[in-house]
Amino acid sequence: MSDTAPATFRVATEESPLFQVILTVIVLALLVLLLFAPLVAVFYEALGKGWVTAVTSLADPEALSAIRLTLTVAAIAVPLNTIFGIAAAWLITKYDFRGKALLITLIDLPFSVSPVVVGLCIVLTFGANSWIGALLVQAGHPVVFALPGIVLASMIVTFPFVARELIPVMVEQGRAEEEAALTLGASGWRTFRTVTLPNIRWALLYGVLLCNARAMGEFGAVSVVSGKIRGQTATMPITIEMLYNEYLSVAAFALAAVLACLAFVTLALKTFLEIRHADALAAARRH
Amino acid sequence: MHIDIDEISKLFGTTAALSPVSLAIPSGALVALLGPSGSGKTTLLRILGGLEFPTSGRVLFDGQDATGLSVQDRRVGFVFQSYALFRHMTVFDNIAYGLNARPRATRPQKAEIARRVTKLLELIQLPDIGARYPSQLSGGQRQRVALARALAIEPRMLLLDEPFGALDAKVRKELRQGLRDLHDTTGLTTIFVTHDQEEAMELADLVVVMSMGRIEQIGKPQDIRAKPASAFVREFISA
Amino acid sequence: MGKPLIHRSPIPGLGISAGITLTLLSLVVLLPIGALLAKGAAAGPERLWGEVNSARIWASLWLSFRLSFLAAAFNLVFGVALAWVLARYRFPGRRLIDAAVDLPFALPTAVAGIALTALYAPNGVFGAVARELGFKIAYTPLGILIALVFVGLPFVVRTVQPVIDEIEREVEEASATLGASRAHTIRHVILPMLAPAALTGFALALARAVGEYGSVIFIAGNLPMKTEIAPLLIVIKLEEFNYDGATAIGIAMLVISFLMLFVINAIQVWSRRRIGYV
Repeated sequence: MSDTAPATFRVATEESPLFQVILTVIVLALLVLLLFAPLVAVFYEALGKGWVTAVTSLADPEALSAIRLTLTVAAIAVPLNTIFGIAAAWLITKYDFRGKALLITLIDLPFSVSPVVVGLCIVLTFGANSWIGALLVQAGHPVVFALPGIVLASMIVTFPFVARELIPVMVEQGRAEEEAALTLGASGWRTFRTVTLPNIRWALLYGVLLCNARAMGEFGAVSVVSGKIRGQTATMPITIEMLYNEYLSVAAFALAAVLACLAFVTLALKTFLEIRHADALAAARRH
Repeated sequence: MHIDIDEISKLFGTTAALSPVSLAIPSGALVALLGPSGSGKTTLLRILGGLEFPTSGRVLFDGQDATGLSVQDRRVGFVFQSYALFRHMTVFDNIAYGLNARPRATRPQKAEIARRVTKLLELIQLPDIGARYPSQLSGGQRQRVALARALAIEPRMLLLDEPFGALDAKVRKELRQGLRDLHDTTGLTTIFVTHDQEEAMELADLVVVMSMGRIEQIGKPQDIRAKPASAFVREFISA
Repeated sequence: MGKPLIHRSPIPGLGISAGITLTLLSLVVLLPIGALLAKGAAAGPERLWGEVNSARIWASLWLSFRLSFLAAAFNLVFGVALAWVLARYRFPGRRLIDAAVDLPFALPTAVAGIALTALYAPNGVFGAVARELGFKIAYTPLGILIALVFVGLPFVVRTVQPVIDEIEREVEEASATLGASRAHTIRHVILPMLAPAALTGFALALARAVGEYGSVIFIAGNLPMKTEIAPLLIVIKLEEFNYDGATAIGIAMLVISFLMLFVINAIQVWSRRRIGYV
């Protein structure tokens, strides 16, 4: 409170300064050990033999094709999940219907299923020994050990992200503004574009960012369905594993450092959004 | 207990919430701190309760300097505007809280605590709600539970911040009489903050009119009404 | 049954939003999970039980569950403390720390896995210290525990932090005016208010840890009966083309996930009923 207060006075809702210092130090020390040390390790190992070695390893055709594949997967999975997220949030927040709670639970389901189980489900559905899979292989469009399987795996594990960010914000916004636009003669699409979208854009961007980070970094589900064919179905995380297991430490960590930078960018943008648009995201955080 | 406020001032940063104010409150009085928002009345109440510390000046309880006394040691019954009931506790546990919080040496026996809580529930005329949670009570019931909780610690005085602020007009009138009765049975020095001049005039023995961190007038309701000390007071009490 | 299936609404877009939602949900989530359950049903309970009922699988399920529970319990205590420090104390770099808490959400698990291994392996920085002291971290259950703590770290912090922000100062002040020491207030007023959110975060961290794969397999060492986690066994069964075996473990883990979802929901319903907020 006021700095002129005598030293003996302590605000009733604060702990003693000594306690505050001790708790802060303990918590930060643990964070350094658990969070920051691994991060430093990634860059230390990547750059341990100099910039040149690290950058050269990234220019390797195998690494380049992994980067290309990861970008391709994200370019397909993230827009699809974004469309899904917007549609699901619209359905859930603009209409009243029976079974809404069940629908929300089903959308959240991928969050609580192990990525490896997700991969297993894809293999059982579209693998060569299932009837759908056999048909697709015959038609020349295999899913498992090919791009569609990897995209599907990435989509499943990131399925709820966009919807989860949008729903709380849209619940908070209510329906009045859309209804007003409609009474003024706006079409449904125009109402969405000019009324709803401006209200949800930051939450939407936030959801897309999280979805993208997770899709590019997905390992468990993808490792089950990718088949790990070098230069073809090995995404960046899969390539990291292969390089690491071959003791190509610098190459593995260089690629890991690229993904870590992606994580930084995601977190930086997220923090920026939170500071600039605290109100629009407040509902999402309370969720 | 009589209370002396001796040249109390309070600065928040560079803005003065209270310019030096002095006030003597006789033992057993029912006092209203009346004023518009920003007049410093709540700050003064919180300083008496030990929740805020004055920038300068002293607070005396029965002639003893209590300025540096911690909230915990002040033993004032404080009723908050929002009532601040503990939502995860039953009404019984809310009222028993202050007794259970005492160090083991001075803590009453379980049976004694139960006896006192039951008595307080009877005092607020809600004998059957001990097992309920605050979310299951009406606004008026919550206010009375907050009163009972404050009384449970056998306070040396009762401080109430806008005690009727969150209630609708009808319940407000009923509970005013309730507070008057409670004051008369317990005999506690009672100070409440209000922005409602009718409430202050009807309920209090002594009204302290405040504005912009200063005391404009101190007096009995009828005296203030008959002889407003300033243009502000005249305007405010006729509103 | 008086309630109609869907209330009439003047807002357009029902058809298209319902169409997209249900189609993608069915194709992306329901069909694959349905396939797992169908495969399990086709194999029959006896066959599934026969596949699961081996010492190696029980050991891995027990290891996964036990370590996940320990990691989530650690994160429960640490997460509440961290959330409190971030929400209430002011110190330089607080915003940076706050942002960094989400790192395990954003950092790919394989990256975390190799980074933790590099640190905690016997030739790593922390691993070397441990070796001096006469024990090993990587390639032991302790290493797995550290990886699981890492991936579960943000859950409790992020569920508890908004609840701390919503505690009214007046409630804490009320406790003080009633004579309670700060410690008593924390123990009897603040922690009970945080408990439902903290338990939700605990359950989320637990569910995540039980299924975690990427960050664990590098540091685990993957010794059968000792440091082999359940998800890894699914991968191994698939590599052996033992689909029934993989299905059996997959269903076992799915059941565990469902139970946890159920528990999370129950906690939220309970807390909403009792105290009127989540």
